[in-house]
Amino acid sequence: MTNHFNDIRHAKLVFFIGSNAAEAHPVAMQHILYAKEVNNAPIIVVDPRFTKLAAKATDYVRIRPGTDTAFLMGLINQLIQNEWYDKEFVRTRVAGFEELKEVAAHYTPEVVEDITGVPAKEVVRIAKLMATHRPGTVVWCMGLTQHHIGSSNTRAACILQLMLGNMGVSGGGTNIFRGHDNVQGATDMCVLSHSLPGYYGLSEKAWRHWCEVWGVDYEWMKSRFHSKEYMEKPGFTLARWYEGVIQEDKIYQYTPIKAVVFWGCSSTSQSQYHKLKKALDKLELVVIIDPFPTTTAAMCEKDNVYLLPSTSQYETEGSVTSSCRQAQWRYKVVDPIYDSKTDYEILQEFVKRFGFADKFFKNIKKIPEDVTREIARGTLTIGLVGWLPERIKKHTDNWHTFDIDTLQAKGGPCDGEYYGLPWPCWTEEHPGTPILYDISKPVAKGGLPFRARFGTEYTYPSGRKENLLAAEGVANPGSEIMGGYPEFKGWKTDVRVIKEAVKRGMAPFGNARARCYCWNFPDPVPVHREPLHSPRPDLIKKYPTYPDKPNHYRVYTRFKSEQKPELVKEFPLVLITGRVVEHMGGGDETRSNKYLAELMPEVYAEINPRVANNYGLREGDMIWVESPEGGRIRVKVKITDRVDDRTIFIPYSFGGMFMGRSMAANYPDGLVPYAIGEPANIVVNYGYDIKTQIQATKEGLCRIRKA
Amino acid sequence: MARMKFICDTERCVACHGCVVACKEGHHIPVGINRRRVIIINEGKPGERSISISCMHCSDPPCMAVCPAGAIYQRDDGIVLVNKDICIGCGYCLMACPFGAPQFPKNSSFGARGVMDKCTFCAGGPAPTFSEKEKRLYGQNRIAEGKVPLCAGMCATKALLAGDADVISKIYAERVARRGNGLKEKIF
Repeated sequence: MTNHFNDIRHAKLVFFIGSNAAEAHPVAMQHILYAKEVNNAPIIVVDPRFTKLAAKATDYVRIRPGTDTAFLMGLINQLIQNEWYDKEFVRTRVAGFEELKEVAAHYTPEVVEDITGVPAKEVVRIAKLMATHRPGTVVWCMGLTQHHIGSSNTRAACILQLMLGNMGVSGGGTNIFRGHDNVQGATDMCVLSHSLPGYYGLSEKAWRHWCEVWGVDYEWMKSRFHSKEYMEKPGFTLARWYEGVIQEDKIYQYTPIKAVVFWGCSSTSQSQYHKLKKALDKLELVVIIDPFPTTTAAMCEKDNVYLLPSTSQYETEGSVTSSCRQAQWRYKVVDPIYDSKTDYEILQEFVKRFGFADKFFKNIKKIPEDVTREIARGTLTIGLVGWLPERIKKHTDNWHTFDIDTLQAKGGPCDGEYYGLPWPCWTEEHPGTPILYDISKPVAKGGLPFRARFGTEYTYPSGRKENLLAAEGVANPGSEIMGGYPEFKGWKTDVRVIKEAVKRGMAPFGNARARCYCWNFPDPVPVHREPLHSPRPDLIKKYPTYPDKPNHYRVYTRFKSEQKPELVKEFPLVLITGRVVEHMGGGDETRSNKYLAELMPEVYAEINPRVANNYGLREGDMIWVESPEGGRIRVKVKITDRVDDRTIFIPYSFGGMFMGRSMAANYPDGLVPYAIGEPANIVVNYGYDIKTQIQATKEGLCRIRKA
Repeated sequence: MARMKFICDTERCVACHGCVVACKEGHHIPVGINRRRVIIINEGKPGERSISISCMHCSDPPCMAVCPAGAIYQRDDGIVLVNKDICIGCGYCLMACPFGAPQFPKNSSFGARGVMDKCTFCAGGPAPTFSEKEKRLYGQNRIAEGKVPLCAGMCATKALLAGDADVISKIYAERVARRGNGLKEKIF
């Protein structure tokens, strides 16, 4: 999130695309409804499904799944064609406008209507609404990201905000509501296969930086890996790791995967689940560290599973990071109950047995405070330098002294600081940065320009040369240079450089323009590409997907060879998945709560009345939903207008059933969740983002028949 | 004397069921008994609205008027309660109630929690305040502790307001006055 939840109270318009915040983020709704009530802000909801959030919208736009980029580019085109865009913002802080304009021109309201199903008039009306209600905020979630062009979708949304001049201002921004407790913290620590903590990547330089922070020898670290090549090579992703076991797609690794550890992770939130199950039954070792015996454990039908009971968040303590980049200290409420252990303790026991405890705990004498301190010392890239445990605790203990609108403390022990020290918190005295890219404030007081990450100049394929740094006169107040400037040399690894920059009123990472044209992406300007499994064969020809991608996070990933225009004949319905408010993620925790299970006891497919009548289905009938990859699930019919007559929706938080079979007998005695059901991800289709490899769960085809 | 009331602002309710679960967890209500429910109308269509409903603690409670056993009574602050030692579980109150608030245990007519069960406004029951018997039959007594009911305390969007009618109607009136006029500080 560039801004924060509370800042939405300043928005004059809230635009949701691929988000059902009313079910996924009910607590955040207080700020959205406040903007609606007090600012008279239009609430625009763009979604294939009339969600509970749509029920709170002033303007609901039904869109065909997988066509978000086309819709967003249509809006951008309207802003440009009608000169509704923020010309001064574009002149001073944006790069690649000419290139954007050229690509966007294709997305006329009529073209957008053909691709997305949104009437041409609506495209114009929504664009005008956004142009006349500034600042407005744009919110998205998995509905925008989980597509094979997910990275284009998100970039198109960012460009839309650039055109409106809504970046770096209160009430504006691109605000991506994170879906889990502390998921921003997990992301910042890069619990990912392609980067060390703090987004440092996997280069030798990155490894050397962290080795220095950890106080271990780089050569020793290298000796732990198969080779230097593998040390620096992105690993398998969460979306595709099972291919490393079953190898139905070619893998690029010297060995198949032999063991997997699920640490507070639900396997049922991954697509192609019937293939993932194959992997579970083939692995030599499956370790599950969780407060609950999860669906993953019940799915394993080979004697290869170890359950390590861990504590809940109430039985341990430490810092957690909110969606808005804020840290908060979570204190322990009760001591661990039964024979569960904290995550710290489990990790310690592992490390001891692996034989490198001396190296692992070199800087860690007191857990968790020293862990937080080590993170602060190493994570310069996003400015966690100021996140010291005592500062975080001080904020948490005095949270009543902070203003609900601005997050700033008025008096008291944290006077002038922003709640939770939103990163970047450049130094031990920095107040935090509540709004990213806000040039109205000095850097030392929480201001920030756009980052200069891609050099100072670029020549586009057309031959046009552009200065990538911000225009003359555009900088934070008090900046030594009143205009663009490149990044400070060495700022990512030397805290003295950061301090020097901030002292001079400048951002350590420079002051540049935001790019509309990203030459390091397959589509430098976002363009529409039909989903791999599209219901519109005619559009596949016009907007084909990418060529196949070998060695994509160590696995061959099919694009073009998977895009089959004839598939829709056999699989005529589009399948989308999503949240229900009662259950969380894979649902192992919430389905084990009797009251939540009572409210949402079983999995179902939402089907439009027209489809139900055409298939001869009545409310409560059981149907088989089948995917092109051979996945099938048995679920109950729920007839509703939430979905249109080409789409069905299934919530993804169920588990404990597998393609018609109950796995209840596989749970330890007495621990079967109150609610079990088929995981929707068994029938979610093949398909992954070209850049990030996120699974495409919000597009794809299926067929249904009465069970 | 305060007059206790609920208000549910349907512009704010997002049907998250947080109130329902807070009530059940806080009072250890058996599955199948709903002191509070969220009702959704026009589901999936424009005009979809949701509202959280429980016993409304009516000023002139029809349940009290029809109770043949005289088990239902009203406190001075308006909270309507049932005496489970007297209630016979006949269900007349359910027929009389415009909101379907009275609940009856499903497994047996004299379950562990007594005969008829309904929202207590988190004010316990006729058993001695904070006694084991009160907790077992009626749940927590948060009003005696000076706290708001669990449901309203949990409500994320502050759709559900509970407390002295004078206070909550003022909060609601201010909200309505500001609604849609684009002004932040000035009401008129």
